Amino acid sequence: MKIEITLQTRREFLRRTVLGSSLAWTVPAFLANTFSALQAEAEGSAIQTPTGKDASILVVLQMAGGNDGINTVVPYANDFYHKARPVIGLKAENVLKLNDQVGLHGAMTGFKSLYDAGQLSVIQGVGYPNPNRSHFRSTEIWQTASDSDRVEKHGWIGRYFDAACAGADPTVGVVIGNQLPESFFAATPKGIVFNNPQNYRFMANGAATEESYKKLNELEMSSPLPDDNSGGSIAMLPAGMPMTGGRAVDFISRTALDAQHSSDEVRAIAARVQNQAEYPGSQLGSSLKMVAKLIGGGLPTRIYYVSQGGYDTHTNQLASQSRLLGDLATSVKAFTDDLKAQGNMGRVLVMTFSEFGRRVSENANGGTDHGAAAPMFVIGHKVKAGLLGQYPSLAPADLFQGDVKYNVDFRSVYAGVLQHWLKTNSAPILGRQFTPLPVV
Amino acid sequence: MKPVSGSIRLTNHMLKPLSSDRWNFATAAHLLNRAGFGGPPADIQKLCDLGLDQAVAHLLDYEYTHDPTTDPDWAKPDPDEVRQFREAIKNAATPEEKRKLQQAREQAIQRRILELRGWWLRRMATGPRPFQEKMVLFWHGHFATSVEKVRNPYFMWRQNELFRQNATGNWQELLTAAGKDPAMLVWLDQAQSRKLHPNENFAREVMELFALGEGHYTEHDIGEAARALTGWSLEPDTQQFIYRPRIHDDGDKTIFGQTGNYDGDDFIAMIVEQPQAAKFITAKLWNYFAGAEPSPAVANALAANFRANGNNFKPFLHVLFRSEEFYSPDIVRNQVKSPVQWLIGSVRVLECELPPPLVCFGALRQLGQDLFAPPNVKGWDGGITWITTNTLLMRYNDAQALVEGQLPPLTANDFARKEGGAGGQKAMKALQRVRMGGVDVEKILTPEQRADKATIVAALEHRLFQTKLNSDQEQTLREFLDSKTKMSNADIVTTVRLMMSTPEYQVT
Repeated sequence: MKIEITLQTRREFLRRTVLGSSLAWTVPAFLANTFSALQAEAEGSAIQTPTGKDASILVVLQMAGGNDGINTVVPYANDFYHKARPVIGLKAENVLKLNDQVGLHGAMTGFKSLYDAGQLSVIQGVGYPNPNRSHFRSTEIWQTASDSDRVEKHGWIGRYFDAACAGADPTVGVVIGNQLPESFFAATPKGIVFNNPQNYRFMANGAATEESYKKLNELEMSSPLPDDNSGGSIAMLPAGMPMTGGRAVDFISRTALDAQHSSDEVRAIAARVQNQAEYPGSQLGSSLKMVAKLIGGGLPTRIYYVSQGGYDTHTNQLASQSRLLGDLATSVKAFTDDLKAQGNMGRVLVMTFSEFGRRVSENANGGTDHGAAAPMFVIGHKVKAGLLGQYPSLAPADLFQGDVKYNVDFRSVYAGVLQHWLKTNSAPILGRQFTPLPVV
Repeated sequence: MKPVSGSIRLTNHMLKPLSSDRWNFATAAHLLNRAGFGGPPADIQKLCDLGLDQAVAHLLDYEYTHDPTTDPDWAKPDPDEVRQFREAIKNAATPEEKRKLQQAREQAIQRRILELRGWWLRRMATGPRPFQEKMVLFWHGHFATSVEKVRNPYFMWRQNELFRQNATGNWQELLTAAGKDPAMLVWLDQAQSRKLHPNENFAREVMELFALGEGHYTEHDIGEAARALTGWSLEPDTQQFIYRPRIHDDGDKTIFGQTGNYDGDDFIAMIVEQPQAAKFITAKLWNYFAGAEPSPAVANALAANFRANGNNFKPFLHVLFRSEEFYSPDIVRNQVKSPVQWLIGSVRVLECELPPPLVCFGALRQLGQDLFAPPNVKGWDGGITWITTNTLLMRYNDAQALVEGQLPPLTANDFARKEGGAGGQKAMKALQRVRMGGVDVEKILTPEQRADKATIVAALEHRLFQTKLNSDQEQTLREFLDSKTKMSNADIVTTVRLMMSTPEYQVT
């Protein structure tokens, strides 16, 4: 690309003058990235900008609607369980036993094989103090990692980007879906969202229109940078690139270039990379299929976000949850197979969450109502496999308003993932120090 | 907070009025863009001709302009409907029947809230009181209440109307009314608060988010205020606020260091008396209209002015919009348009039709501003957070839809409440019947302006930006028109779209 060639020849100039912090405001992230890589190289610095080839990747998988954790990781040997769920309780012969007490829902054969291979960790009884039973509010609590009586305006993933990924490519976060989840809200928003890569582009009614759009949005960079031998100085930067302050339009110009760049890249990868596993035709299946392509294509993403809906099982839960959990396990298994074939499984971790679990007692409609704590799953080659945490007691005396009590704060899981997998200090991101759960 | 004599010098800075020689087309455009949603050159010229003071009065003193909008026909309390639904649910023979009743009700909610979104957007786009609607939008973002929890279109309409009636009135009156508003009573759980179990949600947020800001109250104040607020409740049958003395805590409370047998009204009055209260709300208004945090000097001047005006917004806003600071170069054309500002401003500036409610809803949701469903009680972050790589591309593509009269690229999940929800498919079907207007070139350009590429580009720049793009961009646009053998109206429409597909169009 024209711009990159120009920059390569001006390395010395860039190193000495342009790498001010305020520049991050006006220069497109993909160029800023090139700058920092150049700087690190020039200075022989040990700090390397993570590239698509080696950095660890987190895939966050939202199970929207409030998954019934008790029929997911089933305490099949527990009398309280069968007493509370005479209709929808799962019998011992219908679960995939993990030990003599608990087993996975029978539809989750994909997860069982991951478990047996030491690549699945089941974190039991995850929740938070003073649980909220509203979908909206509890989702918000999980997305922002806030206390249940506090409202945070930024999400935990957004705060991770703000704290640890300044100047990164916008594709540092990729959401397969339609809306940016609240977990991505940030002071400096990052991340791209798309469902179909074909829609993540400038739609033009002709080549001339597209050509003009590119020119209109590339102008800030069109004025040549000073020559190497001109003794380049800040004063000689083109007018569109102020060194301080930063007008809103400069930020948008930078984003416009990022948009162009990432749109081309995403579509090229989607067209080029082939999947090497069979996925279910479900929405989750196709989302993970896309993520596998993007990982295989070397996008410099640290966090992918996918979701699966439908877990709000107030009525006739048996059939619908079975279908959903089957889809979940089969899709994730296909994803891990695909990544294994690519040789990328070693650097990918999948983490599931749902806004709450459900009541211990079934309701009158063959379903369950909104509850509290539930298990989380973490999948990867390097996970601490097996059952983590304690299964919450189902004894009526131990319940709080009909719900199991949490044993593990979900923010300890986030802390573990941030510290041990994404290798960053979790306290500034989560607002305080949570004991990181050793998930890897 | 008493001034400490000797150690703190209070700035006596007052906002300077803009000198009359700086009042011109550009400053008039800035006023209309910010105190309204912008408009075509003729509207700006009209304001300009009025002179600054009259122009501000024309926008702000909207009471003198008749607004013929009528309310949605369901916008009234309907105790019968509430009772009937409750009865029907109680008498439902099977769970299946019950589920169907709830589903029908859910669909009615969706239908009405969509109608409500369209109703409000139409007021913004074509109504005669743009400033009033701009204030309603401010209050909606400020008291950020979501139908996702409230689940009642009548309550949402009523709150919207409350913001309209009290848009520029007295702060204590508005804050009290907003607290007793049914949507708020549900949104922040005040309706569930009891003497024995005071709910602190509203007590906390009214201080943290609505009136004072963090650090200007204690956790103890929250607990005591929650006690004072007990008794504020909602009468489910009449759907009105009700004060229930039996659940009110009648004991003494200590709030902000003062002790007394306070109730909710007392508590709100005590908040507004705090010196921080004027600073907090005036800074937020400045941020909304000027697009930046006020400097300490401006912040002090704003708060002093507001207090001097008895905590009344109208006279204070008159001063704000006439101040030199409001027209300073780092304020003008340096605010990121919110999605609503982008949409409504485009419709007004291009004198085209507002797209149907379903299209507006889908597009605004994609762009990150779902009216009546802000992300949380903090409202929309605004500013540069409106802009991501994908929202920017969507703005560029929505521009094409708007000017060319096509449907924007929307998918089922843009409409569904939940990912994969059934509402999405229904909306996609309904979308097939939707007709979009598009831009009428002959309405926005005179025959003389359409004569050649230079005059086309210049006239459109004037209309869309009220200033010029840089010369390279102008050149690109002229070359685009040059590449067309004959400059058809369709080519001119594409030129408009290209101008809207620039970073410059995203700011105002």
